[in-house]
Amino acid sequence: MTLNKFQAVIHETDSAIIVQVGGELDLAAAPELRSLLETVVNRTDKTLVLDTERLAYIDSTGIGIVVSVIKARDEKKAEFIVKNIPRSIKRLFDITGISGYINEGTVS
Amino acid sequence: MKTSVQLTIPAEADYLDIVRLTLYGLAVKLGFEYEQIEDMKVAVGEACNNAIIHGYEHLGSGELHVNFEQQLDGLKICIRDNGTSFNYQQAINRTAGALHTTRLSDAPTGGLGLYMMQALMDHVEVNTTSGTEVILTKLLGRKEEMA
Repeated sequence: MTLNKFQAVIHETDSAIIVQVGGELDLAAAPELRSLLETVVNRTDKTLVLDTERLAYIDSTGIGIVVSVIKARDEKKAEFIVKNIPRSIKRLFDITGISGYINEGTVS
Repeated sequence: MKTSVQLTIPAEADYLDIVRLTLYGLAVKLGFEYEQIEDMKVAVGEACNNAIIHGYEHLGSGELHVNFEQQLDGLKICIRDNGTSFNYQQAINRTAGALHTTRLSDAPTGGLGLYMMQALMDHVEVNTTSGTEVILTKLLGRKEEMA
């Protein structure tokens, strides 16, 4: 294990806004992701996708951010997909009970 | 003889990765499995988060002491701050059952840290007599969970 700094980038396609996250999402990285998501969470014209394929770590702060986006999108009746969830992250989603709220979309 | 490694960091989020790196190195040395190490990284992170967020809330800044103690059957990690104590009992009551039975509209976006520590470690103890001390223990050889 080496330092695995958090990174987040946004891509936009015709139908989706894709937020790709990687590295370690901890208390130090949370403000960066929160402010990035704030810029797109209200975009109801497209599906919002959080791609977690390269996410190596998440704590309760990161899980809280995911829950807040799920809630915000649900209120707006706008689609939100969390895709490519690594096994270790999925396990934490299961333990905390947020898996039941997550739409993992269809595998593409 | 007790074998221990001690780490003191500023109680700031930017130093959390140093705690995880140290923990990883020690846990590998002691023979923990990959999944057990991931569990410990999250649990220790949560204890540190609480100290950083709540411990020095009213005091500005402070230090966080992390003591890793090798045990015959596992690893004991003490996370201690000298700040104002976080109300763990209140947190336990609030997070009982996490979000499994909560409606989405009622789901809190915080307060899952203690629940996660309890779910991921074999033993969790909290002392709040002076500052806050969280003692987390993970046992080696709990391989029945590996299925």
